Amino acid sequence: MTTVALRWVHRNLFAKPFDTALSLVVIPMLAWAVYAFAHWALIEAHWQVVGGSFKVLMTGIYPAGQLWRAWFSVATLCAMFGAGLGLSLRPGRAALTAVASVAILIAAALAAAIDVHSGMLTAACAALGIAAWIGTQRSAVDQRIVLSGLLAGVVAVFVVLSPPGFEVWGGLLLSVVLTIAVSILTLPFGILLALGRQSRITSLRVISTAYIETMRSVPLILVVYWIWIIVPLLAPDTSVPGLLRGMAGFALFFAAYVAEYVRSGLQAVPKGQIEAAKSLAMSSWTLNVDIVLPQALRVVVPSLVGQILDIFNGATLVFIIGLTDFLRAGQMILADPQNSGRTYEIYVFLFAVYLAIGGAITYASRRLEAHLARGSR
Amino acid sequence: MNAIQIPTAATSRDVIVSIGRLNKSFGAFHVLKDVDLDVGRGEVVVIIGASGSGKSTLIRCVNGLEMYQSGRLTVDGFNMPTEADRAIGGEKELARIRKGVGMVFQQFNLFPHMSAIDNVAIAPIRVRGRKPDEARASALRLLDRVGLHDHAHKLPAQLSGGQQQRVAIARSLAMEPHIMLFDEPTSALDPEMVGEVLDVMRELAREGMTMMIVTHEMGFAREVADRVVYIDHGRILEIGTPTEIFDRPTHERTKTFLSRVLRH
Repeated sequence: MTTVALRWVHRNLFAKPFDTALSLVVIPMLAWAVYAFAHWALIEAHWQVVGGSFKVLMTGIYPAGQLWRAWFSVATLCAMFGAGLGLSLRPGRAALTAVASVAILIAAALAAAIDVHSGMLTAACAALGIAAWIGTQRSAVDQRIVLSGLLAGVVAVFVVLSPPGFEVWGGLLLSVVLTIAVSILTLPFGILLALGRQSRITSLRVISTAYIETMRSVPLILVVYWIWIIVPLLAPDTSVPGLLRGMAGFALFFAAYVAEYVRSGLQAVPKGQIEAAKSLAMSSWTLNVDIVLPQALRVVVPSLVGQILDIFNGATLVFIIGLTDFLRAGQMILADPQNSGRTYEIYVFLFAVYLAIGGAITYASRRLEAHLARGSR
Repeated sequence: MNAIQIPTAATSRDVIVSIGRLNKSFGAFHVLKDVDLDVGRGEVVVIIGASGSGKSTLIRCVNGLEMYQSGRLTVDGFNMPTEADRAIGGEKELARIRKGVGMVFQQFNLFPHMSAIDNVAIAPIRVRGRKPDEARASALRLLDRVGLHDHAHKLPAQLSGGQQQRVAIARSLAMEPHIMLFDEPTSALDPEMVGEVLDVMRELAREGMTMMIVTHEMGFAREVADRVVYIDHGRILEIGTPTEIFDRPTHERTKTFLSRVLRH
């Protein structure tokens, strides 16, 4: 065992003089950084601030008596994420499942240390997700059923969350729900734009191209803010909640990017496919829906999943229209003079959560890419 | 010198494809020059010629995959719209013509995301409005006919080239076409798979299917063709029975071409 380790160290860290020099510089620096962080995290940091403000971080000012709605959403989303992974990916190695289970246990233990009640519920939701993942791995379900199931889940989350009013949505819940809603909304809009850009009808083509290029040349924050101020102008008598206006801004902005991804996918479909469909007298609708889009979307699914990450990270910008997303919730806690010395604890926690969610999305995107590449030989 | 022999065989019969003084260019490149050709119902016409001579372009005009600029082209009683017509519409005629014309491509062009049976059933379901169950039942019968009953649920990537091309033939037949176009159907195949595809085509010819075939398989052409058309630089130089073309070609160019392809 030790000889194996020594050989690995020799081959990977000290193979050549330059490697040796680099390792001698980098390894102590890393070790120092890890030590310093661990020392701070385990001994100096006061994590109670995270526990004390956990509810605000996760849900903003969502009424405490209505929190079951938030838990329902978390459970639904975990189950959907698990089922999505299980159905779209090939069965993973057992080791992976073990790692995930251990991660849940650690998360549950940490959460329980902060607050027993929410810790147990978190663990239960995560376990539900993993159960859905494992449970669906070997089942073959029609894609249409899967998609409508996922859609129904999202709608259920919205319906259950909305009674207390959109104004009270906040924290991580807001970031996640906004990301999911926007990801779904951008898809049909982006596909239509991509098809419009390739249309034989000149006016459609010009409008689509102009839209895509305009959106791609302005910053997200501008579009979001612009939609936020323009909606009351267009509909003066109705008050559209800020959250919906924010979602609309995000969806309008990211649809342009989806359109470009889809366009690259459309171009990847061989010309012979279109000729074959035409020779069978298919209408342009059938040709697109049954022949071209399934092949084009297959190519761009990894990019689209990667874009979910962009949306999630971009969701931090909704503070500009007065919404309290996850990052903003953290800042609000720090605005309380009581917590003024806890900046690092809060930001490390935010960093860890963003990293965990971003990592999960990246992982799903990678696995999907590998899976789809295998399917197409 | 009489450049074009007016075919007598077809005129006496029911004509399904009628081409008159057809011209087609890709930009400045004049591909088809004053082509005249009538194909009778039930007839098998094989088109031969050097690569780039315009033989594929000719049959691709018959189902509107290529647009022509001038001349006359009627298929199954419908007038094929010209390029100018199609700029302002003409989709309806095109769709009507394509419903009756099947096409088999050199590269098979099966839909890679569908199983063999779905490849065959999709057009009858979406274009003819057949019920999915019925369409799949007839798809299975067609696959059986081309010897692929046991491969019905495989994806194209899981099939050999010869099997893919036979699925492609079944896919075209599912639309119950009145005429089948074959664009070098065996050129992309490994030699050992050419036979299985030609067998299916032979069977079709025997059943009386009207076929226009572009091929380099001269032995096959001689065997199944009612008439052979030799195209050279976009012009039809000779039309005749296989015996006339292969054994007594009148044109010097035809002789040169045949001596080159028949040597091996």
